[in-house]
Amino acid sequence: MSIDEELISRHTILIVDDGDINRDMLSDILSDEYNILEASNGIQCLQILAKERSRISAVLLDINMPEMGGFEVLEYMKKEDWIEDIPVIMISAENDIYFIKRAYNLGASDYINRPFDADLVKKRVRNTIMLYAKQRTLQRLVAKEILANVKTNSLMVSVLAHIVEFRNRESSDHISHVKSLTYMLLKALERRDPSYRLTPEDEYIISTASALHDIGKIAIDDEILNKPGKLTSDEYDAMKEHAMQGYTILENVPDIKNEELIRIAKEICRWHHERYDGGGYPDGLRGEEIPISAQIVSIADVYDALTSERCYKKAFDHETAMKMILDGECGTFNPKLLRCLQDIEYILQDRDRLRKTAEAGLTEIAERLIDSAGRDLYSRR
Amino acid sequence: MNIKGCYEAFGGDYDDVLARLSKEERVEKYILRFLDDQSFVQLKAALAEGNTELAFRAAHTLKGVAQNLSLTPIYEMDFELTETLRNYNSVDMDLAKAQFEKTQEAYNKVIEAIKAYKES
Repeated sequence: MSIDEELISRHTILIVDDGDINRDMLSDILSDEYNILEASNGIQCLQILAKERSRISAVLLDINMPEMGGFEVLEYMKKEDWIEDIPVIMISAENDIYFIKRAYNLGASDYINRPFDADLVKKRVRNTIMLYAKQRTLQRLVAKEILANVKTNSLMVSVLAHIVEFRNRESSDHISHVKSLTYMLLKALERRDPSYRLTPEDEYIISTASALHDIGKIAIDDEILNKPGKLTSDEYDAMKEHAMQGYTILENVPDIKNEELIRIAKEICRWHHERYDGGGYPDGLRGEEIPISAQIVSIADVYDALTSERCYKKAFDHETAMKMILDGECGTFNPKLLRCLQDIEYILQDRDRLRKTAEAGLTEIAERLIDSAGRDLYSRR
Repeated sequence: MNIKGCYEAFGGDYDDVLARLSKEERVEKYILRFLDDQSFVQLKAALAEGNTELAFRAAHTLKGVAQNLSLTPIYEMDFELTETLRNYNSVDMDLAKAQFEKTQEAYNKVIEAIKAYKES
């Protein structure tokens, strides 16, 4: 339903009561304004919700019923997260404060005591439905805004990264490949060692920021950057500068210092050539001194560099590349991450599948984050 | 006899029910429906079988209907019976039976009055 439709259209209400007369009375009172569905116990109610909840705007729920009572229905709706989207109005002859509190604690929106007044029932149902419709509308607007932001952000990151790539004359999919590898390694690490406490948001940010790992190369002379064949020792030293340069460039961008994406991108830029034994550059960090983001991107970067053709080398095949990395020919890596690389070997050679899997995973995370951001902003709890 | 007279005959609060349901036709419709309501029949049968859980639910439903229709004498008697049956695993059966007798008296009185109204 569109925003406007939702606010003006005819809503559907589910009335759940084991007493025929009670149910009919409510239906009678509400049927000139709403479409009515009926259930005579909790189980029927849940069956209807399971199938039709997307078109149900509110549930009127009795407490004492055979088969399954109203509280059990509320518990189930809470467990399934339905209660977030469908308001439940209790209608009960139980006037004891204990019942009323319990209903609210389980997520009910309103509690109407019997004997009810026809006009008041109408007004309270209308208010509850409108409140929820407005809430959903706002949730959608917020989600749309965030989605637009996320899209713009990752678009800008990828534009930036590709400018550097263009100047490097590197294969145009190095960046997206490193990003996919980074994501898959993060997933593997999460499975292997939960102590890193990687949240889906961390995974999303590290993967996105990985695209910026070589951004410092923009500051490296063209002749060095694109020199075919081996670099002299001075040239190699100049080339190494790109790590610190990338960090400095991002550090000097005004107004975005506190952004998590930038913080992580700075880590990756500066330390993606560090090695686990302290043998890397620029700072010679060792072990877990190197942020996990940079450790992961460094393996992804090395694997892709080895298996791609460059101006100074031919591409190695997968087996050779793996052997070189595991034998320490490209420096020492975190043994845990080497095992993670082996964990994802099955997908490494199939670049298409790797990219699709990573893209699907990242899209799913983005959607979930956006969804929960929309909810948080306008949560009832 | 009009509906107001019917309510007076069994001691119900007609002004209250009219205020809540807002239309006389609606009151009439549901008063007549009450003649076919099964909750009292179920209550009686469940008590006879000693099924206190079923009896509790039926008493509870009857109470709700009586309350909504302002069938005050039934509501008052059935209210007490419902509370006696609430912990249906340990019911004082003598008390429940005595309260049921009173509920039945009230029920019969209401039904008679509604029937008289229907025929008039």
